[in-house]
Amino acid sequence: MATLKVEIVTPEAPLWVGEATALVARSSEGWFTVLPEHMDMVGNVVPSVVRVGTTEGEIAIAVHGGFFQVGPGEEEGETLATVLAGIAEKVDEIDVARAQAAKESAEAEIAADIRNEHETATSVMARAALDRAELRLSAARS
Amino acid sequence: MAGGQERILRRRIKSVQSTRKITKAMELIAASQISRSQARIIANRPYRNGMRRIIVEAAKADPAGAAKLLATPEHVESAIVLVLTGDRGLSGSYNSSALRAGERLVRKLEGEGTAVRLYSVGKKAGAFYRFRGIDLVEGFVAMSDRPTFEDARRIAATVATLFVAGEAQQVLLVSTRFLSAATQSVEVQQLLPLSLPDVPEDDGPKVLKGYTEFEPEVAQLLKTLAPKALESEIFSALLEGAASFHISQQRAMAAATENADELGQNLSRIMNRARQDSITTEIMEIVGGAEALRSGK
Repeated sequence: MATLKVEIVTPEAPLWVGEATALVARSSEGWFTVLPEHMDMVGNVVPSVVRVGTTEGEIAIAVHGGFFQVGPGEEEGETLATVLAGIAEKVDEIDVARAQAAKESAEAEIAADIRNEHETATSVMARAALDRAELRLSAARS
Repeated sequence: MAGGQERILRRRIKSVQSTRKITKAMELIAASQISRSQARIIANRPYRNGMRRIIVEAAKADPAGAAKLLATPEHVESAIVLVLTGDRGLSGSYNSSALRAGERLVRKLEGEGTAVRLYSVGKKAGAFYRFRGIDLVEGFVAMSDRPTFEDARRIAATVATLFVAGEAQQVLLVSTRFLSAATQSVEVQQLLPLSLPDVPEDDGPKVLKGYTEFEPEVAQLLKTLAPKALESEIFSALLEGAASFHISQQRAMAAATENADELGQNLSRIMNRARQDSITTEIMEIVGGAEALRSGK
């Protein structure tokens, strides 16, 4: 039987591993869906919400950029889809208040830094923090 | 006289015992950290292996593009050497063996006419080079016990910038690899160009595995993949270094505790003998005195 195993992995630990019916994610080329017996594929994942369809329902995971690989799994007829992300979190575990606070402090930092002509390391970091906070907020709202 | 010696011995025993308390506590703390740091290595494996698999896939599909990232240049004019130690000592040969391997590597590179830029990771390596007046470009500290991915990212960003700018053609990392709970060994890993332990030389199985699609196209993907793979490799090295450090410290402190036990035992034996001697002398004196009194009557 054709099955699909999905792994959402961060450097610290695998975030979600299990049997799934579908994986929906977004690469730089656009949205894509992985179903059992999908062809081999390697690509990137842009910051977005990755959705894993399982028989018990859908799991939404906010992925702050990463890569994915689809290939044959260990078992016969199994397709393995691996998403590697530097930072990722389950959407229902997002702390909205904290994300909101992070967003505001990042915006304040960028505003304070705007007089500099060249981009400084702090403003790059602040922009990255802002992107993360915004993804968290939009993911939690949807 | 004899009582004085006894007092000195008693003081030494006390000092040995209090040292033993410290080494025992450190041993227990290190032991508790071992399982945690080992668990982190295991939790990191899927990410590291996944990253390696993707690189291998991409390299197979675009050998020409991968050659730039993966092949070691024939002539290395300038190399970056990272030496990873702990932030703390009292860990047996953990720090010194990494430092020695680092020294050896630097000497070898300089012998080949390669300019070396030295970076230290861990307080001990930083202190070692500063004390010897060896030029250190930058020292990363305060991460050796419980490294975070952010730490790895910081190191990766620093060395990658120099590599991309062409200021160094090779980045080497000297660190202690955690092979198993029983064996750890100091190894030199080439970080850039990326050298992945299981990058296959030939692309034989390509036909068997069928066609792999890339999104975006493979050349572009490789470019964004390389810095992430570098971060991943550095993070793994940090985690393995931390676990090796805890194991090394636990072993060193267990030996120190055992040593203190033995020392305390010997000292108390000597002290008991000294005490017995003084008691015997005292009795002899009393008996002698009584004898003298009686015969005097």
